[in-house]
Amino acid sequence: MFIARVKKVVTATEKHPAYTAKRIYVVKPVYPDGRDKGENNEWVAMDYVGADVGDIVVCGGAPGVASEVFGLERAPIRTLIMAIVDRIDYTEWN
Amino acid sequence: MRTGKIIGNVWAERKVEELRGCLLHVVQPINADGSKSGKPLVVADPRNIAGKGDVIVYVTSTDATQAFDTGVAPVNASVVELVDSIF
Repeated sequence: MFIARVKKVVTATEKHPAYTAKRIYVVKPVYPDGRDKGENNEWVAMDYVGADVGDIVVCGGAPGVASEVFGLERAPIRTLIMAIVDRIDYTEWN
Repeated sequence: MRTGKIIGNVWAERKVEELRGCLLHVVQPINADGSKSGKPLVVADPRNIAGKGDVIVYVTSTDATQAFDTGVAPVNASVVELVDSIF
């Protein structure tokens, strides 16, 4: 799992049936303090919790998870947005 | 899942049965603003929804096999969406 910021919305007409009526976003991994985690580090994630552009979210997934949560037989979905972050408590260490 | 742009095709007459009738694209991973992100890879297109120059969403690893109706195919990346816009 990773923490990311929701950057943009992706829209498509031609898609795999498992993607029908689902919202997908471009997300960018961030450090706990909100800084971007590297250049050229963007992922596409499917929304499962009602996130919006600008939110800090928890993304993740594993093979077979998406087909289970959406109740689909075949789901070529890797990355799910699984939580919207309210606050992160952390201690900086080096 | 990631976004990519199709920069070419791979043509192969002899291939495994599961990939029959399935296009193979050369895809350059891109960021949402269109800039390049890493090295190109080959992505299978089980539904033949995309062509050269199109921006797509592809899925990698085990989930790529789920894009095929049979659920089994020796692939590492599959096209799942033909992107209309990113905003």
